[in-house]
Amino acid sequence: MTPGSPADRPSRVNGAALRRTGLLVAGAAFVLWAVASLTFFAIRLIPGDPAQAILGGPGSQASQEALDQVRRDYGLDQPLLVQYLAMLGRLVTGDLGTSYALKLPVADLLGAQLGGTLLLATLALALAWLLALGLAIWSTGRGRVASALGEGIEITSAALPHFWLAAVLIAVFSTGLGWLPPVATGTPSGLVLPVVTLAVPLAGFLAQVMRESLLDTMQQPFVVSARARGESALGVRLRHTIRHAALPAISLSGWALGWLLSGAVVVETIFAMPGLGRTLLQAVTLRDIPVVTGVVLLVALVYVLMTVLTDVVSRIADPRLRQEGAR
Amino acid sequence: MRAAPVTTSSTTRRFGAIGVALVATVTLAGCQAPAPEASGDPVQGGTLSYASGDAEPTCLDPHVGGNYPQALLAGQFLESLVSRDETGEIIPWLAESWTASDDGLAWEFTLRDDVAFTDGAPLDAEAVKVNVEHLKDPATQSSTGYLALGKVDRVEVVDEQVARFVLSSPDSALLESLTQPWTAIESPAGLARGMDENCQAPIGTGPFIVDEWVKQDHVSLVRNDDYASAPADAAHEGPAYLEAIDWRFVPDAASRYAALQAGQVDVIDNPQPDTISTAESNDSLVWLDAPRPGAANRIELNSGQAPFDDERVREAFIRAVEVDEGIESLFFGTAERSYSPLSSVESVAYSDEALFEPDLDRANALLDEAGWSERDADGYRVRDGARLTLRFPVSTNQSIPAEQSLFEQVQATAKAAGFDVVIELLDLSSWYGALAAHEYEIVSAPYTKVGPDVLRILYHSDSITPAPSGYFANLSQLNDPEVDALLSDAAATSDPEARAASYEKAQRLILGGYYLLPLYDQQNSFLMSTSVQGARALPTVSTPTFYDAWLAG
Amino acid sequence: MSELELRQTTVEASADHLPARPRGRMPRIGTLLSGAFVLFLLAASIAPALIATQDPNQIAAADAFQPPSIAHWFGTDESGRDLYSRVVAGTGTSLLIGVTATAIGLALGLVLGVLASFGGRVVDFGVNRLVEVLFAFPGLLLALLVIVVYGPGPVTATIAVGLSTAPGYARIIRGQLVSIRSSQYVEAARVLGRAPGRILAQHVLPNALIPLFVLATLGIGQAIVWAAALSYLGLGAQPPAAEWGAMLAAGRTYLATAWWMTVFPGLMIVGTTIATTVLGRAMTRRGRSGR
Repeated sequence: MTPGSPADRPSRVNGAALRRTGLLVAGAAFVLWAVASLTFFAIRLIPGDPAQAILGGPGSQASQEALDQVRRDYGLDQPLLVQYLAMLGRLVTGDLGTSYALKLPVADLLGAQLGGTLLLATLALALAWLLALGLAIWSTGRGRVASALGEGIEITSAALPHFWLAAVLIAVFSTGLGWLPPVATGTPSGLVLPVVTLAVPLAGFLAQVMRESLLDTMQQPFVVSARARGESALGVRLRHTIRHAALPAISLSGWALGWLLSGAVVVETIFAMPGLGRTLLQAVTLRDIPVVTGVVLLVALVYVLMTVLTDVVSRIADPRLRQEGAR
Repeated sequence: MRAAPVTTSSTTRRFGAIGVALVATVTLAGCQAPAPEASGDPVQGGTLSYASGDAEPTCLDPHVGGNYPQALLAGQFLESLVSRDETGEIIPWLAESWTASDDGLAWEFTLRDDVAFTDGAPLDAEAVKVNVEHLKDPATQSSTGYLALGKVDRVEVVDEQVARFVLSSPDSALLESLTQPWTAIESPAGLARGMDENCQAPIGTGPFIVDEWVKQDHVSLVRNDDYASAPADAAHEGPAYLEAIDWRFVPDAASRYAALQAGQVDVIDNPQPDTISTAESNDSLVWLDAPRPGAANRIELNSGQAPFDDERVREAFIRAVEVDEGIESLFFGTAERSYSPLSSVESVAYSDEALFEPDLDRANALLDEAGWSERDADGYRVRDGARLTLRFPVSTNQSIPAEQSLFEQVQATAKAAGFDVVIELLDLSSWYGALAAHEYEIVSAPYTKVGPDVLRILYHSDSITPAPSGYFANLSQLNDPEVDALLSDAAATSDPEARAASYEKAQRLILGGYYLLPLYDQQNSFLMSTSVQGARALPTVSTPTFYDAWLAG
Repeated sequence: MSELELRQTTVEASADHLPARPRGRMPRIGTLLSGAFVLFLLAASIAPALIATQDPNQIAAADAFQPPSIAHWFGTDESGRDLYSRVVAGTGTSLLIGVTATAIGLALGLVLGVLASFGGRVVDFGVNRLVEVLFAFPGLLLALLVIVVYGPGPVTATIAVGLSTAPGYARIIRGQLVSIRSSQYVEAARVLGRAPGRILAQHVLPNALIPLFVLATLGIGQAIVWAAALSYLGLGAQPPAAEWGAMLAAGRTYLATAWWMTVFPGLMIVGTTIATTVLGRAMTRRGRSGR
């Protein structure tokens, strides 16, 4: 059923694929380097002394001797360039440093937080995709009422702030009905509300994009011809149009991930879940530079992996891009 | 700022019984636990779930730094030499008795001989010495505890169970300082592990033991089955009834309350005022109101720079601002207006309501007199082309929504007199930055300390000098030799009446100079499910203790 | 005719001269209502004093938490301020945040997207990496950093939200452009010897901009929502400014006791998003059928 099966592809594709892989790896390394550098210098713009952050944070009574000692110990008395190179050197060896506030290795800290956030984001992304596809397929090309209703649901969902949606969900499903716990304590039931909170606005957004391409796709002759061959309306929808409808949404998934991580800051705070978002917020407040850098790098890494993944998926789904890559 | 030198030269000197300033009577389990009244027989076992809205500590050892979130948790697993009862009287805890020398420069504490740390080491004088040295060591990065023991020069080991505190100058607040969790006694072996490890799970003598700390999530506390050092005002002896405490960090107030309502947790702190008033009418919830000691919540007026270097402008601001109705409506009757710099918990707190009577006409007259007689197009007063602007940095980490709303009302009512109040919502680090740079005219900062000596920290001119971090406690920049002398005298005298008199005079001067606008006691409320019995707040810094608590039904 | 060829033909057909399709058209009444709502918003932004019933910052502690009534159409907030007047007063700020942030994001995105798809391989690679770097930076972190460095307030919030949406727009624009550029009708134009600039202006941009328009109309609401999230974290508009997001965040505290404090600012955000989207769609349709 896939147009442009492997046999159709030019033979140069293998060499090109190798080239592409090389470029991807180089690109990924570049992104990580740039993100680390950007964070390093951006954080230096924040008013506040890192040595203070190390010595008990704001409002501390640290003595001048203690401050000087810490500056020496952490190399903060060195020129900025030396500090920067030292940081890069540490990063290359996989050393993320030690948290200023918690005095623990950043890698250990983040390792403990990563799983929760990834689980939350992945489940939310999956649910958002399901909701969006369901809504788009159900409401597209079904006449004005369904269409208007679908659009209304999408726009409203996309316009819901996480913190407000969370409050309403807690009021209804925890306080009102007593079905789900308002604070996520690591149980599966505790994950439901956070995942829904994150997924619903994203689903509204994705559905919006999908509907547009779905509409375009459904007018196209191959769909018409499939209908003419006697396939059912639903069959056509499921087999031919989804892939095309999904295309722009797939390329949006990288965006969606960043979006979800930003949302995670709020959602993790409300549902009291451990995770990267909350860690990041606390680290920024406490000027805990190694932790901020660590979270950003980790997110960048996840993002880079996600990009490769969406790239591959897009290529499978859209032969136009595949051709471009092989050219 | 250096570690106390270790000297044992005077360890043989004995105190005469005549030189006793305070001899505590050892009455264990003498006092009754205050409200909420326990009913029925205690039930053994069970896990209590606590949801805390205070910031998650970055270190569980309250010696390091020293803030309220640390105190909340430390109260469950660490204990102090002495405690304070409901009436403000100092009572025995790890120390069963104490004496002070005539000159007030040496204090001997006799420790209980039946207490051990949870690592098995006995509680002895050497341990107390190690703890004080730890607090005074710059490497510990102690702030609160360090300040509290500022006058303690060193601790000497008299014998196994007697520790002598040698002071550089008399300190009438020493016992009060020692009741605080920030000066709690930890296992020397635990401290010796180094800060990194000790921060994760400090070792004390308390009724519970830190089992595990999962960052951003919870701290598990398990019962200390060998516990034998209940404070003198506890309701029972021996190990705690509860088997464990699940101490969760739930930063969002609405989520905390929902979790309590849903029965997911048994106790929450920092509830929203509107939920307290709802809970009051709810049979399944109990409100524990435990105002913090030390200073009242107040707005400090920075008298160190224009325009508040002029007393008339300060009075004008205080006369212009109306907060009574706001406190009533925003706090739903859970907070009472204060007219004192001190918390109502402190027996020497002095109030003067007349000074804070709102009077817009007087405010306008005072401002005219002070040269702020013109107004610009927006209705704000100007003088020599400069607007009467008051920068008001507000910490989003320290201020609850009701309080921020109250500050907006301050802003709106001050406008009537022509003040342009600019509220700046800042995160904690930026907020401290603004204070250190003197970029404020008015500010509200909580300060918790046991006893009226907090006045010395907040209003003595010594506190104008900033620490290297730029932080200074005297935010009103009050610099009055008379106030200084009164506060120093009060801190040095051992006569309770003379002390109270000095504190009253000092408070009269502070209030009369219009350096601050008292609002209400530092709110410190807990909502509990009715199944929680026997829980109470320690009358020291009002942290909850679950030693006497059990879960009914 | 293989399905592949079939599809490429149809891409040309659908993208170049869209046939009049029986699309899920919004009823005309919806367009009219949306237009009226946007007019109201504009009026409220330009002359809030004419539309409001009271001074939006007028404190009356005794009137706190009043439900909607004749005197207070939308009720009152925790300080007794009239919510209707505050909603009106907040329109300008909120719209400005939404529109400006979206404009910043779109402008940056368009520049990057066009550069990437028409600047040749090296530029494409470079821009793509740049976009990825921006992308890999979580939007809220970017916003937090901007706010921590330059202080909280509506201007920093706007810039922060605009910056954090730019890579998303760039990515979509590039995707659109690449997909259109490799389509047959562009190939055909190229074979016919049309100048690249003309191809870009005549064929590529119009087709790429239409989906973009829909995104932008959604983006306005999104920007307002993100600014609201910053307000929830206490880093958005500063008091006593009546910004919808800040009002929503403040009202959330009292959700159980005073529903009106969140419902009305919330309705304004959702209403604005719906109205701009519906109008955007209507204009898109007009643009398509007019070509």
